[in-house]
Amino acid sequence: MALLRRALVALGLAAAFAAVLRLRGSGGTPPQQGGWRELKLE
Amino acid sequence: MRVLVVGAGAVGARAARQLVESDEVREVVVVDSDPVRQAAVAESSGRKARAGSGEEQADVVLLAGPCGTHAALATHHVGEGRPVVSTSDSIEDVRALLDLDAEARARGVSVVVGASFSPGYTCVLARHGSATFDTVTELHVARSGTGGPACARQHHRALTGQALDWRDGGWHRRPAGSGRELCWFPDPIGAEDCYRAELPDALLLVPAMPGVERVTARLAATRRDRLSAHLPMLRKPHPEGLVGAVRVEVRGRQAGRSEVVVLGALDRPAVAAGATAALAARWAGSGRLSAGSAGLAAVDDSRAFLAELASVGIKPAVFDGAP
Repeated sequence: MALLRRALVALGLAAAFAAVLRLRGSGGTPPQQGGWRELKLE
Repeated sequence: MRVLVVGAGAVGARAARQLVESDEVREVVVVDSDPVRQAAVAESSGRKARAGSGEEQADVVLLAGPCGTHAALATHHVGEGRPVVSTSDSIEDVRALLDLDAEARARGVSVVVGASFSPGYTCVLARHGSATFDTVTELHVARSGTGGPACARQHHRALTGQALDWRDGGWHRRPAGSGRELCWFPDPIGAEDCYRAELPDALLLVPAMPGVERVTARLAATRRDRLSAHLPMLRKPHPEGLVGAVRVEVRGRQAGRSEVVVLGALDRPAVAAGATAALAARWAGSGRLSAGSAGLAAVDDSRAFLAELASVGIKPAVFDGAP
């Protein structure tokens, strides 16, 4: 029983940690502008 | 002007067709070791073009034949006082052609070395991109795709042997096929793995950019290309490659800050190479290029050169990063 409780606690902590990472993110929003455009030569 | 085009492959044929469209070109004489191909290209290029021999008089000579033949032909024509434009991208050819500098200056003619898509168009992009910098510190060139069969064979060879990099005032030889780098080409080519290769770009860029610290050239290739490059070509090369692209990254200092400019272009390599070579021939034949032997990075008015090529559809692009 104690083993099951510990496993559930560990799973809960892992899920909470993963949720924080998922919501917080680490790379920010991908670029929404930029890229290749024609070079103006005037 | 009368232009002698030696070599009627994918690049030479395109160059001949570009030349006949120009008002300043009176006649284009096409020469090739294959008489059937020579006649076909001369006939399909219009009334200004005809088949001829390599000994004919001309105001400018455009060499578009196989790599390894350019140095001897250029030496002969420079000796006769004719400007020469070479499309060869072989390191040996480029070295030999650059060695003609003293004789070309003495005779008052220009020898344009490596006048194709890459090197060639990339050299003009490098010149244009460097114009906004106080000092240029690094130039990195990459190319993707091949033109005709000769270009495909050269691509195959370039992934073996030794690449030539310029670093901190000296030449460094590194194994071709090493130094994988993900390079972003204009869409729709996008990102491709590029490797060091036996390419002559650094030989042409370093003399034109005094003080540059690093110059490298890379070729887009797959892991299979790297492996099979050491074997004979397993299949006959295609008659014409698909759309290719080039990319030039210029790094330097501007008003005390480090800046990067990335320029590129997208086209069929043989078409872009033919157009670049034809324009270089017209400029060389009309005295718009300085006497001596150099690549197109030495061109004074890169904007005008790029604008003329843009008018025939070879349009430069700039990469804008996200703000």
